[in-house]
Amino acid sequence: MTEVLFYVFSAVLLFAGLMVITAKNPVHAALYLVLSFFTGAMLWMLMQAEFLAVSLVVVYVGAVMVLFLFVVMMLDINFEELRKGFWKFVPLATVVAAIMAVEMVLILTHPAAQLKGVTLMERAPEYNNVRDLGVQIYTTYFLPFQLAAFVLLVGMIAAIALTLRKRKNTKFQKPGEQVKVKRNDRLRIVKVDSEPKPTFEAPKPAAEGQGEGAKGE
Amino acid sequence: MTWTSLNAGIALPEIFLLCATCALLLIDLFVSDARRGVTHALALVTLAITGVLLWCGYSPAPELAFSAMFVADPIATLAKGGMVLGVALVLIYGRSYAADRGIYKGELYSLTLFSLSGMMVMASAVNLLTLYVGLELLSLSLYALVALQRDSVNATESAMKYFVLGALASGMLLYGMSMIYGATGSLNVYEIGHRLLVGEGNRLLAVFGLVFIVTGIAFKLGAVPFHMWVPDVYHGAPTVITQLIGSAPKLAAFAFIIRLLAQALEGFAPDWRGMLIVLAVLSLAIGNLSAIAQSNIKRMFAYSTISHMGFLLLGILVANPVGYSASFFYAFTYVLTAAAGFGLVMLLARNGFEADQLDDYKGLARKHPWFGFMMLMVMFSMAGIPVFVGFFAKLAVLKAVVNLGMVWLAVFAVMMSLIGAFYYLRVVKLMYFDEPVNDITLSGGLGAKIVLSLNCLALLVMGLFPNYLLSMLNDAVVFSLPL
Amino acid sequence: MVTLEHYLVLAAILFAISVFGIFMNRKNLIVLLMAIELMLLAVNMNFIAFSQFLGDSAGQIFVFFILTVAAAESAIGLAILVVLFRNLRSINVEDLDHLKG
Repeated sequence: MTEVLFYVFSAVLLFAGLMVITAKNPVHAALYLVLSFFTGAMLWMLMQAEFLAVSLVVVYVGAVMVLFLFVVMMLDINFEELRKGFWKFVPLATVVAAIMAVEMVLILTHPAAQLKGVTLMERAPEYNNVRDLGVQIYTTYFLPFQLAAFVLLVGMIAAIALTLRKRKNTKFQKPGEQVKVKRNDRLRIVKVDSEPKPTFEAPKPAAEGQGEGAKGE
Repeated sequence: MTWTSLNAGIALPEIFLLCATCALLLIDLFVSDARRGVTHALALVTLAITGVLLWCGYSPAPELAFSAMFVADPIATLAKGGMVLGVALVLIYGRSYAADRGIYKGELYSLTLFSLSGMMVMASAVNLLTLYVGLELLSLSLYALVALQRDSVNATESAMKYFVLGALASGMLLYGMSMIYGATGSLNVYEIGHRLLVGEGNRLLAVFGLVFIVTGIAFKLGAVPFHMWVPDVYHGAPTVITQLIGSAPKLAAFAFIIRLLAQALEGFAPDWRGMLIVLAVLSLAIGNLSAIAQSNIKRMFAYSTISHMGFLLLGILVANPVGYSASFFYAFTYVLTAAAGFGLVMLLARNGFEADQLDDYKGLARKHPWFGFMMLMVMFSMAGIPVFVGFFAKLAVLKAVVNLGMVWLAVFAVMMSLIGAFYYLRVVKLMYFDEPVNDITLSGGLGAKIVLSLNCLALLVMGLFPNYLLSMLNDAVVFSLPL
Repeated sequence: MVTLEHYLVLAAILFAISVFGIFMNRKNLIVLLMAIELMLLAVNMNFIAFSQFLGDSAGQIFVFFILTVAAAESAIGLAILVVLFRNLRSINVEDLDHLKG
């Protein structure tokens, strides 16, 4: 059963990988990459590395691929133009890549590599993959753990420093200053002397005639 | 594991540097653009204290920390000292240049200090994982710094090329590391070396991994045939960042090569010696020959860097402490020489004028004689003319190569250096014997000019008394590598 | 019986596909970045295979850190791509020719 699953997943993975490289539309390429990551996670599950399989889906598919898709959709790319001249390089690149793949496979399947009969390590029933990795990361691998935090900080600083642009004409509220306002800053009470109430007078006929004359022109 | 068993005290310089950089990041938020000098001063103070901590923490025998992830041995401490000095020179020389180009911001300082911390971790790493994380901390900071001048087409283009080729190199390096891990079952550099020497590891897989590791190293160093990124990145990046890329990371790369090839894979010295001979010969040839055709001084420096890295590899391929210390001396003095060279280019540059064409240097020595003399010292040192330190660096490497019996290699290196001397001397000729084309003024503060003068004089002084540094570095190599 | 060899061969072929993608791709910078992610997936497969078949957890921890670093790296790569796009209005690899050679 494991064998069948392995071959099915491998085929899907390699197919998805090829489609990432050769897809016409970058959004399709990103989605094929998501498929290849999911399939990779399934293969890792077959190897009984559950924590990392789940991490791959959460971190890579959930964060990195979402970022890719955001960028692909934000950059309004005309992908029709991108296809011109695509097939010019394919023969040479295919030959080079095929030679490289064949050479690597020949080395790995050579008897001197001693990889032939190696099977999965048998684990005790109470072996907990997550606990084992957790203990290691927080004790033995403490230094790389802290450094990885700084790597992420550098990523954040870099992304903000490179892409943040302030719009010059945005208006925004400053709640701190709003709260500090006192009544006297906004309202001023002025004493005005009282005046007698004005009486109504009828408009004079001469002014009315002039006004009508002006309107006639 | 208890907190005390971590032995974190020996990592005090790195811990201080990282904490201070975070503090700098926060303080910079409250500093307005006009008062950015505060950030500059704080960064230099951080570097000074880090240097003092390194000097106080020097121990003549290797000490391990963080569960055998980190080592403080003499090679690491001296390399880190060189790196701190190199980064300090970048910040001092680059201040007015950065201000003219709109990158005089807090991120310049924090990313530069983070890249330094990545370099320091790389120098002290004795576990493949720590080596990789340190390398990525350095590389990611550098990619961002190259692109920092975000309105410049050249800068963003070279940042993209640097990023793609750098990520490719990291991928190759990781594939090699995975094969070494599979062959020996361990990530610790000392254990890998031991298992491969006694024959416990799988030899085929280990050599397979070695090929990819050497490929990754060659990419990072800029050796031929993986040198494609060097001219474009050196040309496109702002000159202050070019100085950063061209000086201190070479020491980090040297330490990286020592950990991987000299300590982990020392059992395969005959295998990687052959590969490094090919890389060194090609780098010397193509670096020197291509530099002749350049009209842009930054591209000329880039191709000359490729040839200098060829010399570095010559010292490493000898595979004994004499060769390693010769390469160490070469890398150390190269940091100072490159810093001086790029500092002089930045001194001539001002707002809107990059000073990166060779024609801009015509007749310079007549208007500014001291500047011309400084450039002459830098060019002579890079060309390997006697009395300057570059000559002794090349001599040390060539002696090591000849002692191994490969006289043809030493003769080839000397021939390539003679060809290389041509383009260095051409700059001197342009400065002293040609008519000025541009109206030349020097920019930069008095402090930067004084430090630059001291830097160039140091090239002369170290050339007159090379033995002090050479013996210090030789002792460091001998005490760090178990024989 | 699925052995270590099967997984390593799969990872090797995936690595070759990603190298093919990087060198063949002349048009689209985003696909170049995706090919780099495929390369890291191949390396991760290698590490986990060695870790599980030889019984040492160090390989899996390495994969954990590679995931972390690759996330930061892709963020920076995409930020540089965005800045480049704002300057050039194109993601065609062949338009990166302002620097000589």
